[in-house]
This record gives sequence, C-alpha cells and structure tokens, in this order.
Amino acid sequence: MGGSRSGTPAVTLEGLGKKFRLTHDRNWTLKATVLNGHRTRYEEFWALRDLTLDVDHGDTFGIIGGNGSGKSTLLKVLAGILRPDEGRASVDGRLSALLELGAGFHPELTGRENVYLNGAILGFTSRDIRRRFDDIVGFAELNRFIDEPVRNYSSGMYVRLGFSVAIHVEPEVLLVDEVLAVGDLSFQKRCLERFARLKAEGRTIVVVSHDLDMVGWLCDRTAWIQDGTLRAVGPSAEVIDRFATGPDNDDRHGDGPTAGGSGLDRLSPDDLVRSVGLFDPNGHPTVSVGSGRPVRFRVRFDADAAGEPVTVALGLYRADGTHVASINSGAATSGVTGDRSVTEPGGVGPGVVEVDYDVPFLPVQPGTYELSVALHDATMRKVLERHTHLLRFEVEPTGIEPQNGLVALGGTWEAR
Amino acid sequence: MPVSRRVPRSRRDLAHLLQVDLLVNLTLRDLRSKYKRSALGWTWSVLNPLVAVVVYSAVFSVFLRIQPSTGDPSGIRSYAVFLLVTLLPWQFHVTSLTEATRSITANGPLITKIWFPRWVLPTSSVLARFLTLLVEMAVLLVLVAVIEGHYAFAWIPVVLVLMTLQLVFTIGLALMVSAANVYFRDVQHFLGVALAPWMFLTPILYPLNMVPADREFLGIGYRTLYQLNPMVSWTKAYRNALYDLRFPSAERWLAILTATTVVLVLGAALFRRLEPRMAEEV
Repeated sequence: MGGSRSGTPAVTLEGLGKKFRLTHDRNWTLKATVLNGHRTRYEEFWALRDLTLDVDHGDTFGIIGGNGSGKSTLLKVLAGILRPDEGRASVDGRLSALLELGAGFHPELTGRENVYLNGAILGFTSRDIRRRFDDIVGFAELNRFIDEPVRNYSSGMYVRLGFSVAIHVEPEVLLVDEVLAVGDLSFQKRCLERFARLKAEGRTIVVVSHDLDMVGWLCDRTAWIQDGTLRAVGPSAEVIDRFATGPDNDDRHGDGPTAGGSGLDRLSPDDLVRSVGLFDPNGHPTVSVGSGRPVRFRVRFDADAAGEPVTVALGLYRADGTHVASINSGAATSGVTGDRSVTEPGGVGPGVVEVDYDVPFLPVQPGTYELSVALHDATMRKVLERHTHLLRFEVEPTGIEPQNGLVALGGTWEAR
Repeated sequence: MPVSRRVPRSRRDLAHLLQVDLLVNLTLRDLRSKYKRSALGWTWSVLNPLVAVVVYSAVFSVFLRIQPSTGDPSGIRSYAVFLLVTLLPWQFHVTSLTEATRSITANGPLITKIWFPRWVLPTSSVLARFLTLLVEMAVLLVLVAVIEGHYAFAWIPVVLVLMTLQLVFTIGLALMVSAANVYFRDVQHFLGVALAPWMFLTPILYPLNMVPADREFLGIGYRTLYQLNPMVSWTKAYRNALYDLRFPSAERWLAILTATTVVLVLGAALFRRLEPRMAEEV
C-alpha cells in the first residue's frame, strides 16, 4: 500500500521542462521538407520550466492555475504521454490517469466490449477485468445497457462508464484532469466520495482543476502554476488564497463592471457569465456594502449561448471560506430568454441577460466576503457553469456597538 | 498472501512485454467493428478475393492468354489456383499496410490522452488482417482439394511457417509506415500509389519465367533487378508449397529470413526513434 512506502515520494519533479514547437506554417508534406532542405522553422515555447516538486505517498495534491498555465501539460508529462525536454519527472507506483473519460471507447462496440478494451489500454489483463466487471458496471449504473453499442449512450452514461473503468484500475497514483466538470451533480458527488475513499486508503491523487472549492476540500497540498513555472506550493487553503487574491495574479482579462477586483478577471470570453457586480440602492457600482445595508447583486450572462432557460445561483462565502448563504433564482429567471434585455438601455449586448438579486439589508458581520456564481438549467439538475470566489467585496461596519459571529442581527437595544 | 493460481513469473513478464492482453483487445476491436452495421458482414471478406480471382482470371488467363507454369512435381495446371495461392498473401500485405499506416494518426484522441505502448496499434491492425488471411487460406485449401483433387494438406506446416514469417515482415513494415505517417501524411498517399505497381512487379498474375532473363539494364539483368523485390521470394515460396507441392529452395528461405530480420529491426528502430513525440505530432 502506498503509505507504507516512505522514503521515495510518489511523484518527483526535478527541474522539469517541456517545450513545444510553434510552427507557423505546419509542414505536413515531404515535398515541402525536401524543398526547404530541412524541417520548417519553428519557434520554441516552454510550456513548463524549472519545475521542482515532490508529492508524498498518500497525499492528495492539487494543481491550480489560469488557462494555459501548463497544468494539463504537467499532468500529461506525469502520465508519460509527453516526454520532458529538461529535467526529470518520475512516478513511483502503479499509475492511472483520468485525462479524458472514455477516451478509448469505440462507438460501434458494446459497453461490455469497451470495458475490456479500455481496461486493457489502461494496463489491465482480461482476467483482472473479469474479476471487477460487475463492480465497474454497478458503479456506472449501466446494468441494463451494458450490451448496447456505446454510440447509443447519452454523454452522461459514456462518462460514467469511462470513470468507472479508470477508477477500478486501483492505481497507487491517480492523476485527474478536470474530469469532474462533467456529469450530473449526483455523479459528481459519487466521484468525490470515491476520491475520498481512495484518499483514505492511502493512495496518492494529483488533481488539476479550476474548481477551487473542490481543490480546497479534497487536497492537502496545492501547487499554483503560472506560465509554466511554480508560483506557490503548500497547504491548499494558503495557496488557493494567494491564487485568488494575489496582486501578482496577472492572469486576468475581465470586462464589464468590476467591483473590488478579485477573481472577476478569471472569466474568459467563452464563459456564459459575463460579469458580476455589486450596486448600491441608487444603482451605482460599488466595492463595499455597509453591514445591514441594502445591496444589489447583478449577474450578466449570455442567454443565447446557454441555449436553454437558466437558473442563477449565488453563493456567499466569508474570506476564510465559511459558507454564509446560497440562493438560487428558481423559476424567477428560468423563463428569461435572450430577447428580453437585448435592447434595454445600458446596452448589455446581444443575447446577454441581466439578473438582479436585491437584498433589502445584508445581515452579515463586517469583513471580506466572496461571491460564487453558478448557472444551472431550469431543473437545477445540470450545472452549466460554476465560478467560485468570483467577486470579492468588503462589508463595512455600520453600527457603533461591537458585534461578533456570522450574522448581523440588526436589532436595537432598549433598556427600561 | 491468499493462495491463488499463480502464473510463473517469467511467463507473466513475457506476456506483459508483448502486451498480449492489449493486442488481443485491440485486434478484437478491429475485427468486431469492421463489419458492424453492414448487412453482409463477414461475407465481404470472402467476396473480395472471390471477385478479384474471377476478374484477374478473365483478363489475364482468357483475354491475354497468360499460361500458368505447370506445377512441378504436382502437375497442376490451373490459372485460378496458380493465382489464388499468391493473391491471398498479397492482399494481406496490401490491406495490412494500408490500415496500419493510419493506425496511429486515426487514434489521435487515444494517444494524446492515455499512455500505452504505441507499437500495439500498427501491430494489432496487422494481426486483425492476419486472422482474416488464416480463414481465407483455410477456405482456399478446402476449395482446391474439392475442385482440383489437389491435396496440399501435407504442406500446411510449411505454409504456416511462411505465413508467420510474412506476419513478422509485415509488422516490421507497418511499424515503419505508421510512425512515418505521423510526421508526414504523404506516406499514406504514397502507399496508395506504390502498391499497385508493386503488385504488377511481383509474379502473382504471371509466372516468374516471363520476366526476360537475357536483357540488361545498366549491366544488371532484368531478372536480377526484379528479384530485389522481397515480395518475389514470398510469392515463389507460397507457390512452391501450395501449387508445385515442393519445399522452397534454401536460397528462397535465406532471402525470406534476411528480409524479415532486416525489416523488423529497421522498423522497430525507426518506431522507437519517432515514438516519443507522437502525442505532439499526431
């Protein structure tokens, strides 16, 4: 078992570097090569550089960073798919990589045939699979459909089967790349439970994710990678906090009204959520609210791109991660479609819908707070998009009397 | 440690080294998916050589009046049999190479997401075609026995050895073309162009003695040049065993063994060299 193997770390990176060639005109033909005399000129681009890092046996380790920071490249190097150009990367123990669920599935074959095929690709012998077959199918909840061709599967069924095969390989070191972004909520929950069990069994898990909540919850230690180099490594809460708030986090291209800075910049142009803002009762953007004072949260999202009615959910957290409240719009915005606010004054752009959540008085103690935003489908069964710690803002003291705790009760004293 | 049936360590290691389970599964994938959703299914794999033999017999034997050599010592004189014993191994050669060439590029999504030894991809596509060849050769033997009263069954061991060597030879070639095709997609097009002339420069449709021995090109005899093609040796050897009913000559075996070894070693070396960057180039 992993934990007993003290001494060598489960994952070792020593000055790891990986470069890619960026060719401007891709040279696919022999003729061009012969005519140019040699291969096309290309630029070199270091996707990873000087990475030195250890992950101990039994650790659950998170890797976070912005888009294009090199996280996934790192995972592919660890998985053996990419060969390092510099330094060394080594993994001690039987490895399984969940980079894409069901990557080896053949659409014309049945689920059963694909389980054997996928298992063999992951390094199983047929006898291993035969022994675990019932568990694999049971976890994927596909008993009735296992002899159907996979092309008839829904995307959820496909992903469940892929996950189930990969997880039953019983790896000593498991590499996971953002796979939990897929599947419905109940499946995500079961995946997390499964990870927790693997963790309890002393296996090493390396997770790459944008979901800071999940990384914070699951991982003991976390590394923050940016531009292919290591920015920070340490206990997850600290590293996540530095990533989310760090002034040197230049991984930002936000548009729309920003309030208070923070993670709003993490929105990319492809995201459905366009902006989140904080407004005072007069409708002016603000960066802070008085404790017990009215406030309006405004979310803009691209309803056209969502393509279906959307339920907006907000999560309010204290800066230390304490969950204060979650609310969702329920049916209130589900009926909203793209044509409603397109031409409204303020020009939010085609297809973009603006949703306000008005709070008559914000009953929380002074301090720093963070807002998470999620978009669900109308039935709340499917997460379309989730942004954690998207907006960071201050709640200012307003009363004169000292208070402590989570909520501001807003009462008045009276002595008789 | 619970008591369990244990396979001797050396055998397990060998099975692991040769990726037996992975090869079996990939070969099955190939065979199972090939004729899925087609009404005739496996009939197609028999129809293909059947149509070929009818058309070639009509054109080359009836229209062009090519005389097959008389089997020595068997005394057989049938163009259809003369053709089939070499046509089936040739078609294996063609389909194996065509499919192996694309085996890595077509599995791009797999290669960029999961690590596994890449050589199993071209190898399993050759293996799948080899299983088809085994079935076709069995059918051929029975057909010939029934129609011609020509009992070649005693020569089955020789044919099996030849087929095994051809399998290894083809895997060597498949390793080369599949790896090269990742970097230059020209390979698959080149192969499409090269395979047809290659067939006509191999004594499949006509006997070797129709190639002039008395003419020279740059001081080298036509016949000598012609025999540089390794497929000539295979063709002659198959025809020796199944048409002439004669053990192929020592030189024939030597040529076959040399070609097989050289191609396998070169193929493996080239593949190893090109393998590390496949996930980036595919």
